[in-house]
Amino acid sequence: MQALIVSNVLLWCLLVAMALVVVGLIRQIGVLHARIAPAGALMVDKGVAVNQPAPKLTAEDRLGRPVNVGYPGERAQMLFFLSPTCPICKSLLPAVRAIDRSRDDLEVVYVSDGDMAEQEKIIAEFKLDRSRYVVDPEVGMTYQIGKLPYAVLIDAEGTLKAKGLVNSREHLDSLFETELLGAATLQDYLRGQSPRIHHPGDDLPTEKGSA
Amino acid sequence: MTMDPILTATGAVSLAVILASAASHKVRAPAWFRRQVADYRLLPEALHGPAARALPLLEGALALALLWPATRGAAALAALALVGLYAAAIGINLARGRHDLDCGCAGPGAPQPLHPRLLSRNLLLAGLALLAAAPAAPRALGVFDGFVVLAATAVTVLLYAAIEVWLANQPRLLGLSGR
Repeated sequence: MQALIVSNVLLWCLLVAMALVVVGLIRQIGVLHARIAPAGALMVDKGVAVNQPAPKLTAEDRLGRPVNVGYPGERAQMLFFLSPTCPICKSLLPAVRAIDRSRDDLEVVYVSDGDMAEQEKIIAEFKLDRSRYVVDPEVGMTYQIGKLPYAVLIDAEGTLKAKGLVNSREHLDSLFETELLGAATLQDYLRGQSPRIHHPGDDLPTEKGSA
Repeated sequence: MTMDPILTATGAVSLAVILASAASHKVRAPAWFRRQVADYRLLPEALHGPAARALPLLEGALALALLWPATRGAAALAALALVGLYAAAIGINLARGRHDLDCGCAGPGAPQPLHPRLLSRNLLLAGLALLAAAPAAPRALGVFDGFVVLAATAVTVLLYAAIEVWLANQPRLLGLSGR
């Protein structure tokens, strides 16, 4: 009888623990769903070319300190363009902040535009008060940002390494992947990576360069 | 039909915890719940405010009444009626074809479109209410019985919470797989 009671108590305790784990797992799935929300369509890009020197300019952050963008420096830079009126920007901010905290060799600059009271709300909500936060349309115009949220990655030498519309954590991570691989676009990457597959007609001189 | 008191007590306490949490999220966001009541388009506009104030009070009172053996049976039947009422509200709006309406089941932070499978959750709650309403066989309860009731309640409430999040995740998963 004693053994049965002990076994029963143990089983109940384990069952409660199991139920806790199930709740935890299901909540994690919910968070994952929120983070991989559907992305928008990519677009043909314009503006500054990748693997070229980034345009240099100096802007003031919201506290009046100068922020140098595009100059050679000690650390690489990531410009994250956002706006208080863009909901996807807000959903990406936790991911951007996580990148900011996890990399010492990278300076993240938040570039925004618009009403100052709205900016303060975002800064308070996402605890960005110690980050470099620029409110200046000049930066976005120089880099020709048409869509938000947009991210630009500049290495320590001042070369623009990667840029793109970022709609999800996956897009953000792919920027760093681009930097690592040194390929400007997906097409470049595929051209460099794919083992040469012989297509009929490849050897014909008239077909050259048409791919 | 008589049941072992452990079963009826577990049903009653679990239902009480679930009702209390439902009441608390409604009380904490009264403006949101008022909009929710209006969104269901079942009551004339003059009754939206009073209904939005009365429902969380009713839920809280039922949760308390479920904990006392003397009032348990009546409270369980009232809770059964309340769950049925919610199910009817969901069913009527589903019949109207309003699949984009927020259910409002899990509070303001967890929007979730209406779907017939939400009714299965109400069926589950109705089962708990029936369990709590069943007359208990007279039996002396010891410390161990108390432990079993608490542990079983914890498991029931946790599983209910898991099912709730699971149901909320399902439309997102369907959205991802493009259906």
